[in-house]
Amino acid sequence: MRVTTSCARETEQLGEKLASVLKGKEMIALFGDLGAGKTAFTRGLCAGLGVADGVCSPTFAIVNAYQGKYPVYHFDMYRIADLDDLFATGFYDYIGNGVIIIEWSENIESELEPDCIRIRIEKTDNENERIFEIRGMDDDADLFG
Amino acid sequence: MLICSVDSSATPASVCLFEDDKIIAEYYLNTGFTHSQTLMAMLESVLRISDKRAEDIDLYAVNSGPGSFTGVRIGVSAVKGMAYAQDKPCVEVSTLESMAYNFLGSHAIICACMDARRRQVYHGLFRVDGNTVERLCDDKAIAVDDLLSGLPDREEIILVGDGAELVFQSAADPLITLAPPNRRYQRASSVALAAVETYNRGEVVSPAALMPRYLRLSQAERERNAKIKQEQDGAL
Repeated sequence: MRVTTSCARETEQLGEKLASVLKGKEMIALFGDLGAGKTAFTRGLCAGLGVADGVCSPTFAIVNAYQGKYPVYHFDMYRIADLDDLFATGFYDYIGNGVIIIEWSENIESELEPDCIRIRIEKTDNENERIFEIRGMDDDADLFG
Repeated sequence: MLICSVDSSATPASVCLFEDDKIIAEYYLNTGFTHSQTLMAMLESVLRISDKRAEDIDLYAVNSGPGSFTGVRIGVSAVKGMAYAQDKPCVEVSTLESMAYNFLGSHAIICACMDARRRQVYHGLFRVDGNTVERLCDDKAIAVDDLLSGLPDREEIILVGDGAELVFQSAADPLITLAPPNRRYQRASSVALAAVETYNRGEVVSPAALMPRYLRLSQAERERNAKIKQEQDGAL
């Protein structure tokens, strides 16, 4: 599925739409460069799940935990260099215990769950426009119905 | 001698007070609740209800791994803190070995398996012969299929641990059976029983030296991961 958003607000709205079809234990892997909109998307997803706390990239904390309709674990793998690093974040203990959303999934690609939702975000020539390529959603999950 | 033993290495958590070859109190929980919220409450509860105080405890024992990253850390940290405050010795127990002690009094090979995801288990093999437990291999992380192909044949083997069912599903040998629910998982009374043997061998550590003992994923798994990454690099 490909979706184009024209500004950060629309990116957040896409996150909210995805939140509306989640069942509470999904892993969502985000791919994309600095400034692609991973955090904006996550902010929208958390808003859609009723998270009241402020959402920001846990670049130094590695993981932020939020409580909404489901627990949400927001990872930033920017500083994760290998599997030992990843193990030491407790990453594996979070799997299946809530919605896991991961920024910089590039760094831990081998450890993503086989059934995870993969979202690649790409910039275009238009400054605020982004293309989202979404894979791994249930076939019957319609984000735009 | 009063032993306080603790397990929070995976989903269940339990604590036990063990005095002179007798379990005097045990509290076991398998709810999936966060150990950081239940473990100290359980410890406080068994001490109070059995009319013991922290300073009565002579030895601490804990499943120091393998297990979940967070679970093992919670158990080891809790014990380290309590033992340090009273300056009492500690015993590190392998989670896998502790589960073999669930079967004291039996005559069988105990194959302990903890789910390590992606069809891998943390595994140890033990021969239980009445009141003795003999370790048959080092604890290791291994793929389920490699584990099954390496098991001894023509012997009765009992699978224990939260990975037992996973292994059992792929087992063809009728001599391989699944531990019943009351003996399936790690529990603190078995940690105490294992700790007595360890203590008698003189293998105690100071609270400061008590550490989590994690098992690394096997080399095979790491190679497989690298291969998957290569394949996926182009995909998305």
